Amino acid sequence: MTGTFNPADVLHILPEVFLTVVALGILVLSFAAPSRRKWIEILAVVGVGGTAILLVQAAVPLFRPGGEPYAVFSGMYLVDKFAIFFKVVFLVATLLVILMSIDYLPLIGVPVGEFYAILLFSTLGMMFMASGGNLLSLYIGLETMSICIYILCGFLKQDQKSNEAALKYLLMGAFSSGVILYGISLLYGLTGALDLKEVAASIATMDLSNPALLLAMVMLTAGFGFKIAAVPFHMYVPDVYEGAPTAVTAFLAIASEAAAVAALLRVFLGAMPHIQVDWTMLFWILSVLTMTIGNIVAMAQRNIKRMLAYSGIAHIGYVLIGFVAGTELGISAVLLYVLVYAFMTAGAFAMVILLHTETVKGDLIEDFAGLGQVKPIAAAAMLVFLLSLTGIPPTAGFVGKFYIFGAAIHAKFYWLALIAVINTAISLFYYMRVAMVMYMQEAPTGLVLSSSRPLYLALGFAVLGTMVIGIYPGPFLELARASVFGLLP
Amino acid sequence: MQAVFFFVVAAFTVATALLVVTRPNIVHSAVALIFSFCGVAGIYVLLDAEFLGAVQVLIYVGGITILLLFAIMLTTRIATRVDVFNEQMGLSALIAGGITAILVYASLTGIQIAGEAPAPVETTPALGRLLMTTHVLPFELISILLLAAMVGAIILARREKE
Repeated sequence: MTGTFNPADVLHILPEVFLTVVALGILVLSFAAPSRRKWIEILAVVGVGGTAILLVQAAVPLFRPGGEPYAVFSGMYLVDKFAIFFKVVFLVATLLVILMSIDYLPLIGVPVGEFYAILLFSTLGMMFMASGGNLLSLYIGLETMSICIYILCGFLKQDQKSNEAALKYLLMGAFSSGVILYGISLLYGLTGALDLKEVAASIATMDLSNPALLLAMVMLTAGFGFKIAAVPFHMYVPDVYEGAPTAVTAFLAIASEAAAVAALLRVFLGAMPHIQVDWTMLFWILSVLTMTIGNIVAMAQRNIKRMLAYSGIAHIGYVLIGFVAGTELGISAVLLYVLVYAFMTAGAFAMVILLHTETVKGDLIEDFAGLGQVKPIAAAAMLVFLLSLTGIPPTAGFVGKFYIFGAAIHAKFYWLALIAVINTAISLFYYMRVAMVMYMQEAPTGLVLSSSRPLYLALGFAVLGTMVIGIYPGPFLELARASVFGLLP
Repeated sequence: MQAVFFFVVAAFTVATALLVVTRPNIVHSAVALIFSFCGVAGIYVLLDAEFLGAVQVLIYVGGITILLLFAIMLTTRIATRVDVFNEQMGLSALIAGGITAILVYASLTGIQIAGEAPAPVETTPALGRLLMTTHVLPFELISILLLAAMVGAIILARREKE
């Protein structure tokens, strides 16, 4: 149990160390030279890019033949392909969010330095979640991420909806963290261990129908249900998505969801594989509820951010299908879906920011009216994201859904696959309604779009990701498959 | 003797916790919370975790509730009575009671009662050593977390320039 501190371990967390240093640098710069907005933005982009380079450099030995995953810091931090895969998703998401924010933040009057610093701290928390080999380090990573996002949600201090979003998210987040902690403490009481492997080994020797063990599992399911926004733990999501500044909403939808999924996979597959039968049943129900209610309620939304919130809930339902299937195919489909979802949702939120000008807030579906005639290229980009969110080829969304549903059928969850297909049909309705508004309705006079170059760059990047994975999914699927190797018992 | 002491402390903790949620005056609730936290500290001491007990008193009793009282006083309407009961009280009592029953059942049947308690050891040096060896990474991560929370608190609380 008692480990030692080996200073050489620090070399294995270099990407995280670098990100921390950059975030601290941004904080210092923002009060040393507050007028140098450009420097801060460049530093933020360089920070994410540099972290990605260090990460790839650390990943190379793992992907060589004979590259074995290993743990450092007494098992607190795992270096494996699974962690690398998710960290790449987080960094891509963070980069897209930074690009979206560069001209958006001054427009809405948000302090730039603090925003990027806290954004990067949040990414840091996610990276520790993906690498967490111990319930303790996983939990602290989770809290680092969440607390930073509570703050980001409330950055528009003059805006009541932003205040509401921050407060609601804080309260629900604190409550769900409490539930997760309760589950963890029960597991610790039963097994005497916090290390995922030790917990699993101890559970293997136990009576598997032990009520305290099942209670711990239910608590963890409910707690993570809140974090990934599964129905019935989703009620805070639409308000938070609507109230938070749009760039933060995008971050919440793509990065924070991905991180919660990573932690979910780590905890359930790593610590509780012996009671997989029990939690598979729970997540089956959650999955069906999540996708069905998410899709049905999304149809009634007028605000595009709320619609995307419910659509995000529905997509988590699809992700859970792969998790329920629990096979190597299913889990790799989950990983692929998380990546795909990051690109298409980032794109959709970037479009909302694109419509946001000094006069129009751009978050209603009717604000998209006439975009097809006035700005055909922007409308085409939005169409790509909408098609991908629905799951129509040749976009990435189709590939993601194809492998998820395929995994469900392969694992003999026929009902689940059928319900998912019906849900996809329902979702077609509300995604295409946005497309109809874009192409069939008249544009209001004087429709202006944001002229932010970085935002266009983010949009282009999102379109590229959505199309490339859609047309040529092979390497991405291979990567996802390689990443789950060793994760499953 | 220890059992008697435990039941006294436990009953005190639960009773004051009940006061926290039922008092209509929020200041009374906060004060009751102090006593509830003291009761929890007493239970830690009974479990030979004297360091945890001391920390509980220092942080929860000394820090958090005092901050809580400050926050109440700095915001408006301290003395106004809040209606803490509404029409959903029965439902919430049912849910809370149900969860408690499940928890009690699960802990009684699921967790084995250890025979002899191990000889008490001094926990403080061991905890300190663990923080610097096994748990050094989470420990460092917490410092980042606290820094981010502090920066966030300052941003959210500071007055905007007009």
